[in-house]
Amino acid sequence: MLSQTETAIGPSGRTGKRAKRQRQPNEISNISNLLINIFFWIYTAICVVPLILVIIVSFSDEQSVVQHGYSFFPNKWDISSYEFLLKDYWQIIDAAAVSLFVTVVGTILSLVIMAMYAYPISRGDFPHRNFFSFFMFFTLLFNGGLVPWYLAYTQMMHLKDTLWILIMPLLVSAFFVIILRTFFANTIPPALVESAKIDGAPEFRIFVQIILPLSLPVLATVGLFQTLAYWNDWYLSLIFISPEGHVNLQYLMYKTMLNVQFLTASPQAMAALAAQGVEINLPTETVRMAMAVIGIGPIVFVYSFFQKYFIKGLTVGAVKG
Amino acid sequence: MSVTNPSVSLSEVKKRGRGRVPNFLRVMKKYWVFYLMMLPAIIILIINNYIPMLGTVIAFKDINYQKGILGSDWVGFSNFKYLFSTETAWIITRNTLLYNTAFIVLTLFFSLAFAIMFNEMRSRWLSKFHQSAMFLPYFLSWVVVSYLVYGFLSAEHGFMNKTLLPFFGVDPIEWYSQSQYWPGILVIVKLWKEIGYTTVIYMAAIIGIDHEYYEAALIDGASKWKQIRKITLPLISPVIIVMTLLQIGRIFNADFGLFFQVTRNAGALYSTTQVIDTYVYQTFLAIGDIGMSSAAGLVQSIVGFLLIFLANLAVRRISKDDALF
Amino acid sequence: MKAIRTSTLLTLMLIVVLSLSLAGCGGNNGNNEGASPAPSENATATNAAATDEPAADPTAEPEKKLDPYTVKLIYVGAVQKDEQVVEDAINKLLEPKINAKLDIAPIDWGPWDNDVNLKIASQEKFDIIFTAQWKNYVTNSAKGAYLPLNDDNGKYGNLLNEYGQGILKNLDPQFLKGSAINGVNYAVPTNKELAAQGGIVYRSDIADELGIDMSNVKTIQDLDAVLKVVKEKRPDLTPLYFKQGETFNSQYMAQYDTLGDASIPGVLLKDSSDTKIQSMIELDRYKEIIKLTREYMKKGYINKDAAVATNSTQDAMKAGNVFMTVQSLKPGKDSELANATGLVGKLKQIAFNEPTISTSDAAGSMLAISASSGDPARAMMVLDLLHTDKEINNLLVFGVKGVHYDVVSGDTIKATEKTGDYNTAAAWMLGSQFLNPVWESEAPDKWEQFKAFNSKGKASVALGFNFDASSMKTEMAACKAVMDEYDISLDTGSVDPDTVLTKYADKLKKAGLDKIIAEKQKQLDAFLAAQK
Repeated sequence: MLSQTETAIGPSGRTGKRAKRQRQPNEISNISNLLINIFFWIYTAICVVPLILVIIVSFSDEQSVVQHGYSFFPNKWDISSYEFLLKDYWQIIDAAAVSLFVTVVGTILSLVIMAMYAYPISRGDFPHRNFFSFFMFFTLLFNGGLVPWYLAYTQMMHLKDTLWILIMPLLVSAFFVIILRTFFANTIPPALVESAKIDGAPEFRIFVQIILPLSLPVLATVGLFQTLAYWNDWYLSLIFISPEGHVNLQYLMYKTMLNVQFLTASPQAMAALAAQGVEINLPTETVRMAMAVIGIGPIVFVYSFFQKYFIKGLTVGAVKG
Repeated sequence: MSVTNPSVSLSEVKKRGRGRVPNFLRVMKKYWVFYLMMLPAIIILIINNYIPMLGTVIAFKDINYQKGILGSDWVGFSNFKYLFSTETAWIITRNTLLYNTAFIVLTLFFSLAFAIMFNEMRSRWLSKFHQSAMFLPYFLSWVVVSYLVYGFLSAEHGFMNKTLLPFFGVDPIEWYSQSQYWPGILVIVKLWKEIGYTTVIYMAAIIGIDHEYYEAALIDGASKWKQIRKITLPLISPVIIVMTLLQIGRIFNADFGLFFQVTRNAGALYSTTQVIDTYVYQTFLAIGDIGMSSAAGLVQSIVGFLLIFLANLAVRRISKDDALF
Repeated sequence: MKAIRTSTLLTLMLIVVLSLSLAGCGGNNGNNEGASPAPSENATATNAAATDEPAADPTAEPEKKLDPYTVKLIYVGAVQKDEQVVEDAINKLLEPKINAKLDIAPIDWGPWDNDVNLKIASQEKFDIIFTAQWKNYVTNSAKGAYLPLNDDNGKYGNLLNEYGQGILKNLDPQFLKGSAINGVNYAVPTNKELAAQGGIVYRSDIADELGIDMSNVKTIQDLDAVLKVVKEKRPDLTPLYFKQGETFNSQYMAQYDTLGDASIPGVLLKDSSDTKIQSMIELDRYKEIIKLTREYMKKGYINKDAAVATNSTQDAMKAGNVFMTVQSLKPGKDSELANATGLVGKLKQIAFNEPTISTSDAAGSMLAISASSGDPARAMMVLDLLHTDKEINNLLVFGVKGVHYDVVSGDTIKATEKTGDYNTAAAWMLGSQFLNPVWESEAPDKWEQFKAFNSKGKASVALGFNFDASSMKTEMAACKAVMDEYDISLDTGSVDPDTVLTKYADKLKKAGLDKIIAEKQKQLDAFLAAQK
């Protein structure tokens, strides 16, 4: 155990590659740290290894997968699954463009809209906050069903086959609004707001100049989740975009997986199809894995890239006076 | 004549001939900026959520497409019968509730534990690294997860039967035919996939806690454990309560992808894996009656609402500000 | 107190806003939900569809002047790259005939259920849609999703008689008889193989290699000896590949007539004339099959993951490590399969029973006219052409001659490099297969063989009977759940029947089996009586 009297350079500055860290007063013991680290290394392995397997299978030879199942060491490597998928690269580029646009625009817009709703209902002095909290929250519990929702967007709003339909339904998530509200209510010192109001600052200015900067952690978190929600969504493309239309990347990849789901869903239909002698051509195992890789690849890159700023955002909020 | 004077009682206000309306309008006038700020979301919610809610009437009708939704016949509660009157109904309800309760409790415990541990890890870099890794499974779709699970549990080629079990000298198990293992399997898989998500939320909450509290506690000689118990947990309790309440509201809704894809819809496992949502889906495939699926959605919503209302009332008693509404 | 009252006010405001927006949009909603789909009223259809101008008087004779109209055809499949090219070619032929254009609109298997249900529920405009007895044909018809085609008193008259003479002339009457619901047809079956026959397809090259004599194999019991040898001598192979729907207990193997929807219990046997409906799991035949399957599974003949396998038998054979699968047979099935799997010359089939025809065979692939169609008469004309006009049919199914396929001679064709740009694989859904050419790898007299096969088929006593379950939805849902729980594992031999069957039977009874069978019997008896 590193004794506290041993010479060391403090954590804020290091000289040399392996300067021994002095244990800060409130840090946990070395042993606890070690145990925690070991635990997480194991857990990280559990999380990362399956992903690696997915990637490996996508680069394996189809025959060996069918005959021997998934393996980290396939008999043969080949990239034919990617060749097959990327053959029609225009479609993929189109879908990726759709995904990109929808994700960026959707995330920014939704953060703005949700924060603007969450702030008023977090203010203790706003008499109508309970009603509007309930108004927001009720939508989490009750839902009219698929058909009425579909009718509202297609018959009423005429938004079928548009880009906007891929954005609008996800703009407001009651779950995130309530999280935002909780943060606004609990981490912004009311004194700050009070003093600003006394200084005569208008509400909106308070919101933009005081509240938002202090809420970077939660905004970053919700922003990340919304990015994921938009990127990963395939349902909206399924329901609202016709087969010839512009779908997003995740749906393009998922479309053929849906055929697999169809198979497991109805044994009677399968039996009838078999009786007809119809064979549904499913994507092969390796192609399915390649689809998964293409579907999540970009977002994993984006996530690891933004991780830097994300954590910075989280820690910035922590440094408060 | 100030109606905002709190010492003036309502009855006096009434006596003065001013009804509720001026009060209400006064608030709107004073807080008009807030109303404007909330407007976009309000419009979106009306279109996306509230107007479709009117479609709940479908649950009470026998829909005929030529008559249209408005013109179809009313059939009272007959669309609801299949959810209650059969033995299957009991099993799916039990399964849904038990699984969701397990998810809520375990997710809470583990993500809190992880978030705290991440926060205490000495190396910031490692903490970041592990946190990102933990988040990765969330990116996978349930379909891909089902393939991975199959790669693990397949009777012929699966990792368990081919490698792990023989290593311990245990006979291979027909995983997809034995229902008793699946509660454990499904809980583990669900946690694995989604714990990163909730951990991040709690982490963000913990990071927001002012360091001064800890420093003060340290000066008072409090141990790490005590600090966690007395500072960290209480200060993030609003977030914990909100997350838990929200999950309780969805306790009657099952994660379709988990129960349908990962189990590969294997009938032999139904007694422990069939839940309300998969049952409704199967029924809909066979019967194609949107009235029945709408009825199921309504039941789920009502139960969720009741439960969360009660839970919220309970929270209100303990700490009014933390309640959802 | 104040808060409650303002809440009430706010709620009232909300309701006002809601009703206003509803009223504003009520016009459109009403148009599609409440209005009946008469062409003139739907002239202002708002939904995204390919409808052009409203149609002419629906009872007009084809010779009278017809307004231009686009018929939207929805079938199952992926969108093809050259769809526009093919559409143009078809329209060149179609417009002079009936002044109509065709909009080809395939939807893939995966999204089908969602998409189609929403289209029907929202009464979106489309004209022709694929349906089948196993794809909610009966329930959708009961809900008014499809128009009756031969109802003299129907809103559009007897469409089949007026515009579908070609269909009536060419289609074996058993097709229409078999797919009628209470005497009314709501869809036109595809003209193709009608009878069903069950059997096995096996690797003849491997059989030869191992010296197995397959000539005496006639029943599933005979397979024991064969599979034993395969398992011993070639442990790397899966002797018998099963998956859900393709087992010894499949309809075509065991000859069950499921009397309409197979997800409702209560069957007859196709090869007997007994009209007493029984629960499938009570039949001796069933018990024998299940027992034998379980034995084979225990002996290691059947793939262990059969209950959850998703790879089709075709893909399994393609992978090269499967010896035998069960198949629904028709003439030339083995060569068809061999082509698809790249095992040309290595597959042979053996039939285990005689061809039979039941409702599910007759109604296994059909095209219906949607209630939301803007011009049902025109739709029927298109259907008629698909059954009679060789050029149009082949364009739709195979693409442009010389581009997507080349003629070898007569009616034999071969693939070109552009075949992949338009390859619907939907011949079995669209019109009449007897108009189709034959790929050069298939038997040239394929269609003659089919005709012979069809005529050999023995019709089930219940042909034409479709059980109407609309009064028993609760029992249906409950029984289906039980069937889903047990069928696949029993069919694939994954569980022990001795312990499981009694539980299964018990649960079915609790789910209302007896009620369903009683009602089914009642309807069947009435149907049979009306036949006489």
